Amino acid sequence: MSASSRPIQPGIVGWLTHLVSSALNLPGAYRRELERRRGRTLAMTILAVFAMAYPVLNRLYFQPFSRNVFPLPFPEDAVVTFMMIFGIMAIGLNIVAGFAGLLDLGYVAFYAFGAYTAAFLASPHFGSVSVVLFSNTIQGFPGIHFPFWMLVPLAMITAATFGVLLGAPTLRLRGDYLAIVTLGFGEIVPVVFKNLAAVNFDFGPIHLVNANLTGGNLGINPIDAPHFFGIKFGSSSGIAAVYLGMILLVGAILTARNLERSRMGRAWIAIREDEVAAEMMGINTVRTKLLAFGLGASFAGVAGVFQASYQGLTTSDFFTFATSILVLIMVILGGIGNIWGVLVGALVLVFVDKTFLPWLGLRFTEISPDLPNPSQFNFLIFGVLLVAMMRFRPEGFIPSRQRAAELHHAPPGQAIGAAATMGDAAIAGEEAVEELAAEQEAIATADEAAEVIDIEGPPGDAPGRAGT
Amino acid sequence: MAAAPVPRTGTQPDADLLVKARHVTKKFGGLTAVNAVDFDIPRGSIVSLIGPNGAGKTTFFNMITGAYTPTAGTITFDGHHLVTQSGNRMRSLKPHAVTELGIGRTFQNIRLFGTMSALDNIRVGLHVHLKSHWWDAVLRLPSMRAEEEYSIQRGEELLELVGLEGRGNIWARNLPYGDQRRLEIGRALATNPKLLLLDEPTAGMNSSETAEMTAFIRSLRTRLNLSVLLIEHDMRVVMGISDRVTVLDYGEVIAEGSPAEVRANPRVVEAYLGRGAASN
Ligand SMILES: Nc1ncnc2c1ncn2[C@@H]1O[C@H](COP(=O)(O)OP(=O)(O)OP(=O)(O)O)[C@@H](O)[C@H]1O
Ligand SMILES: [Mg+2]
Repeated sequence: MSASSRPIQPGIVGWLTHLVSSALNLPGAYRRELERRRGRTLAMTILAVFAMAYPVLNRLYFQPFSRNVFPLPFPEDAVVTFMMIFGIMAIGLNIVAGFAGLLDLGYVAFYAFGAYTAAFLASPHFGSVSVVLFSNTIQGFPGIHFPFWMLVPLAMITAATFGVLLGAPTLRLRGDYLAIVTLGFGEIVPVVFKNLAAVNFDFGPIHLVNANLTGGNLGINPIDAPHFFGIKFGSSSGIAAVYLGMILLVGAILTARNLERSRMGRAWIAIREDEVAAEMMGINTVRTKLLAFGLGASFAGVAGVFQASYQGLTTSDFFTFATSILVLIMVILGGIGNIWGVLVGALVLVFVDKTFLPWLGLRFTEISPDLPNPSQFNFLIFGVLLVAMMRFRPEGFIPSRQRAAELHHAPPGQAIGAAATMGDAAIAGEEAVEELAAEQEAIATADEAAEVIDIEGPPGDAPGRAGT
Repeated sequence: MAAAPVPRTGTQPDADLLVKARHVTKKFGGLTAVNAVDFDIPRGSIVSLIGPNGAGKTTFFNMITGAYTPTAGTITFDGHHLVTQSGNRMRSLKPHAVTELGIGRTFQNIRLFGTMSALDNIRVGLHVHLKSHWWDAVLRLPSMRAEEEYSIQRGEELLELVGLEGRGNIWARNLPYGDQRRLEIGRALATNPKLLLLDEPTAGMNSSETAEMTAFIRSLRTRLNLSVLLIEHDMRVVMGISDRVTVLDYGEVIAEGSPAEVRANPRVVEAYLGRGAASN
């Protein structure tokens, strides 16, 4: 962004100078960008301005228009807020599944950890104590009441911790096996939250008799709405909550982008491309993968804490396998590996799910009350969409360049290129075969549970092991 | 992040040996791929490992880099134990820790990061020398940005060194075969190794490319003060640049010496050249 060529000072001073200078440079940088890629920059600017103005325009013009003149599917404040929530989750899952290539089918678990962090630490649920911290809640009010700005980092830490705990036992797994273990984790966590409603526990100083920790089926409510400077940002505060969601989303985008363009981002992609080679280049694959799990999970933690605080309630029913799949569909439809792609995927899917299909349903009932309600078939529709997408544009709406290349001219390209140069007479034909076989092996093993054993196959062995 | 906690050898013998392997054995089930091999790499030398297909050369490589754990034996590198024994369990230093100690390698079957640019492949090789943490990256602290700039600059130097200047933006998988081999060497050099392991660097090259590669490997030693362990089938390369040659057959060392000695050794002629696995 900044085009400064001055040497960079270390430490906080350097950082502050950099902040100031890049802020001053911003108009110039923008002008240069405008000259370089005019269409793209203009489109991005218009989109950003429109996004920022949308909540206001929606209230002043779109909703009245759709109520009084002609019904059009303009998403309401609550839907836009959920677009932000799922956008944050899609960006987080993209770190795990898109950058590092680790398929996580239980991502919803971390969303749950975020939500219950808010439920425990900002509600009257634990009424036997009263802890009120920096909160607009009256001192002495029953329950624990932490302010939102403390909940967010706490939820990130909680979710990241569980992300690492889940990651640790799955480090040696890949592909299908990893998917199954994460799926199990995603199923277990909500069940645990559901069932910790009547806990009897006696150990050391802890005596729990029929303790209701999580509210069981009913969940926990009310949860304090986020509030800053005396303004509330809950579901009843409309526009304010949308803007809070936007700020969190922008934070998520910047964080993910900065991570992608760093040593860690390169390490993740290297692991996705060839884990063995990555480790041989000095990447600690254990630590790097755990980092992906932990950081990816922390995004869901933020989404969860915002969801619970915004809605003012949480129950384990929110955290079903379907939600995990929904986020994964957002990532895949949008373009796995590309931050902007997965964001678009999230916005579109939430829009279709929460605004477009209900709107369509209303139009249907206007025609005839006997017509089916498309909202009930949302997952069917997503499934069809996914299949169609896989058939016609497998890399997603806005693909990462890498995935597009992988999916379109997949395996043979490189092997043929290698084989062509193998024509040299100095090389025994046998070796050419070996090279090809190994090439195929490398491709096949990409999805397999790969032991270090696979490093470099002996010639005779390679094709056989490709199938294992 | 500092140097890995590796026990140092108690005494200080063999100071001029960079690698010292003793009785190294690797069994895969019933198959003994490498059998009680003793092997030294003197500092600053180019040493070749040759032998027919399946002789165990790559397996030996993989034990040095920590990809395979030997069934028995010891390997030390620059005074560090790469293999340790606790009870009767053998343990290898993890590959990334071996890399940090200063061993870089290429692969018999090229293993680049296909959809990363050539420059980024090299920058992955620089990973161990970059120290910024994820939080530096999130906040884009000045130290992190300075390091990124350094990695681009150093990456471009290395691209130039291996003759790929101006091709940094091309994806590794889209480079021609010979360039991919060079890029792999560049990526290995980025880890700043003391010892470079090359597994058949001229495989698939025509004779002029092979001659070029040979000259390049020789120049690396002088320019970068490297030691090189080379696996190679092409006898012209081996005889042309090696200080010492070790011949493996069925996992055992059958000859060891200067290129001329090895060439004259009747066992080698029988086991290796006699089977027609080499080109001349
Ligand atoms: N991971 C493994 N599992 C089982 N057997 C293996 C494994 N790796 C190598 N081998 C066996 O060990 C022996 C030595 O193989 P290695 O790859 O080291 O040979 P090489 O000397 O490198 O041969 P080439 O010249 O063909 O590359 C072979 O018989 C091979 O089948
Ligand atoms: Mg080999």
